[in-house]
Amino acid sequence: MNSKLASRSIIVITLLFLIGPFGIIILAGLSAGDFMTFPPDGISLKWYAKVFEVKSFRASFALSMFLAIGGTIAALLLGIPAAYAISRYKIPFAETIKTIVAAPIIVPGIIVGLALLRYLVVPLNFTVTIALFLAHTALVLPYAVRVVSSSLNNLRSDMEEAAVLLGCSRVGAFIRVVLPNIRSGVLAAFILGFVTSFNQVPVSLFLSGPGVRTLPIDMLSYMEMTYDPSVAALSALLAFLSVAIVFIAEKFLGFSRYV
Amino acid sequence: MFQNNREGLFLALPAAVFTGLLFLLPVGFLLAEAFKVEGSWSLQGYIDFALKPLNQTVFLRTLKLGFFVALLSAIIGYLCAFCIINLNDKSRGRVFGLVILPLMISPVARTYAWIVILGRTGIVNDALIGMGLLDTPIRILFTETAVFIGLLQLFLPLMIISLVSAMENLPKDVIAAARVLGANWFQVFTKVILPLTKDGLVMGGTLVFTGCLTAYITPAILGGSKVLMLETLLYQRVNVANDFISAGIIATILIVMSFSANQLLKRIASARQ
Amino acid sequence: MSNSILSLKKLNLAYNKTVVVPDLDLDVREGELIALLGPSGCGKTTTMRAIAGLMAPHSGTIHIDGKDVTRMPANKRGIGLVFQSYALFPHLNAFENVAFGLRLKKLAETEIKSKVEHGLQTVGLAHLATRKPAEMSGGQQQRLSLARSLVMEPKILLLDEPLSNLDARLRLDMRTELQRVQRETGVTMVFVTHDQSEALALADRIVLMKDGLIEQIGTPSELYNRPRTKFAADFFGFENIFKISGNALVGDAGSLQVSYQVDAEYLAWRPSAVTVGNGSYNGKIVGVAFAGEHIEYVLETLLGQITASSPAAERKFKVGETIKFDLPLASGFALYP
Repeated sequence: MNSKLASRSIIVITLLFLIGPFGIIILAGLSAGDFMTFPPDGISLKWYAKVFEVKSFRASFALSMFLAIGGTIAALLLGIPAAYAISRYKIPFAETIKTIVAAPIIVPGIIVGLALLRYLVVPLNFTVTIALFLAHTALVLPYAVRVVSSSLNNLRSDMEEAAVLLGCSRVGAFIRVVLPNIRSGVLAAFILGFVTSFNQVPVSLFLSGPGVRTLPIDMLSYMEMTYDPSVAALSALLAFLSVAIVFIAEKFLGFSRYV
Repeated sequence: MFQNNREGLFLALPAAVFTGLLFLLPVGFLLAEAFKVEGSWSLQGYIDFALKPLNQTVFLRTLKLGFFVALLSAIIGYLCAFCIINLNDKSRGRVFGLVILPLMISPVARTYAWIVILGRTGIVNDALIGMGLLDTPIRILFTETAVFIGLLQLFLPLMIISLVSAMENLPKDVIAAARVLGANWFQVFTKVILPLTKDGLVMGGTLVFTGCLTAYITPAILGGSKVLMLETLLYQRVNVANDFISAGIIATILIVMSFSANQLLKRIASARQ
Repeated sequence: MSNSILSLKKLNLAYNKTVVVPDLDLDVREGELIALLGPSGCGKTTTMRAIAGLMAPHSGTIHIDGKDVTRMPANKRGIGLVFQSYALFPHLNAFENVAFGLRLKKLAETEIKSKVEHGLQTVGLAHLATRKPAEMSGGQQQRLSLARSLVMEPKILLLDEPLSNLDARLRLDMRTELQRVQRETGVTMVFVTHDQSEALALADRIVLMKDGLIEQIGTPSELYNRPRTKFAADFFGFENIFKISGNALVGDAGSLQVSYQVDAEYLAWRPSAVTVGNGSYNGKIVGVAFAGEHIEYVLETLLGQITASSPAAERKFKVGETIKFDLPLASGFALYP
């Protein structure tokens, strides 16, 4: 009927606005010409191939992967115990602790990068890579705590008491009973953390040095110098990667309820 | 609940110490630096900053863009959320997934697409010239419009998600009940939907507004040095002039605004109750 | 103390600064089925948690089987607890739920298997061994939780409101089930409940608690027939309880001069103990309800409303009639504060 048609069109137009540009990027990257144009001048895969040849892209991809995986694991190692303590104990200063841990969400990334550069890297001789690692860990930590907490809150705490009464130690109860039941929350936290960290730009703006650049920063500086479609091709590839991860996560975890 | 609170503190402390020491402390130093002029505590840095016309323009532009992006997001968001919750479960899940999808994609990639679309030889100019509406391409890139569009595309999903979850929690049949009682659609929206979903609106509004304030890539790529926002201004001040005082001031402004936007919206929401 | 399996001495239990149980003494004999009965907030659940070791007492001691376990951690006490919510492990199937504690004991696989199977059989769930808890009904989950505790052969089995999450029919089944299991295994059971009928039906002895203190301990018939205090009488269904002041009964609305004088704080009558139709006082009938073999009357009197019942075969009265009634000392019940 009429209202149904109207409602469908609103959804389609919105989705077109949100997702359409990616279609254009994918096509622009397929161009056979040397400049970004749309529609593309002929079709070729040469720019997609070039992405893999650019050395700096490879190095920065590796750094971004390291930060995303390592930083997220570190954040989970810090965040899971914190989330557990917040949901299961009446700890003193609970509100303060929660505020501190959540603060990185409010503090703009560019400031974090600058602050770490001025007060960790320069005076304390931290390497840029370590500073980046610390910054990414702190940035992912609030998400890790939030997602794991919501998983824990859905889990009744008397299960742990039951496990203890059946002979488990407290740590044992956590490993045998809690962990298996928050597994999907932890995985979701990992994926959310990975994606957040991998796509993070502002933190790394100041925190980059010779040979130490995250992928998005590398793409930005590449764009400033050249206007060829390889960045479009790379963007398209990254988009595919994200889509694949999210698709799989949604399929197995119902990821969207954690976002 | 367990009784041994020291054990709990022991579990929570590493995370808090980590963030506090390696994250908040350096940021705090940076903010404090803006209050120091030539070695002594002073507000002179702030006064100088406020008096510069460029800084005023950038500050107001950032606020303006944040506000209007949040407003338009809310309008589109309500329309969309209303359509989405009326879908059957299966297509609702699919549409919801597609709305979330862009959030997972690199903002660089997301913003880059707009260069192709809005550029001098981009789709929009080509189309307008092709239709005979223009003789020479117009400048869209590096205008506030371009930044506005980029920000809207970047943050609209956050608003839609917040509003859809708020609407999913609406008691069943309230809208139908209001209609039966004689309310027109405008009344249904202002008297029923808005009051019942205001938490979602506050949540979405905060996310979008603070997102716009602290976005870097979109103004950098689509606005360049012509359309500076606070974040790009900060980058420029540090990179071009080594001006850490301005950086600290902008940082303070950004944090204070993000924080107060959140508090203000919370206040409004609870006052309406 | 020699033959008591559980002995609480001068137990003081507190959450932070809030004292829930100030001073509790209790002895439970081996093989007994004990009910901790009381309204919510009376400290019964807290007492149970202290016995299990889930909270540490502020002072006092807990002995199990003659051994002081006051400072022993929960996982070493050898006590079973069936949680009100069952607290089953959602990621494990029925078999693995029951095997959980046995595996921690590092028993041989064949022994685990035979114990789990026997445990599941005891509660009638042998056919559902591979089901996950989420795929079971409330009653089945309850029994699984029971089996999980029983296979550990606990010295004492604690049950927290074991019947409260079941519907009326299942509740009756489960009552008989619990009694059967207790007979078969001989395990000492302590269960917590706020439902007096549950306690009356199940327990060998009832511990009635109020504000963290034991109000009265006794067999079901002792508590039902001879409550000692006003609180106990209230809890076990006395309806007409009046304060005694010299030669007068004092109710909500006023007082009534009587011919007797007793050495007690209160006098109480069950509805059936009130004489209807003759006696020395007047009352107006404001409510009549047929309850099968009885007719229940609500009388408006000088004391306030009182409830009386008489066999349906006797003469009936109508709402609005003013009749004679009596509160004879012989059928009255003396209570102390």
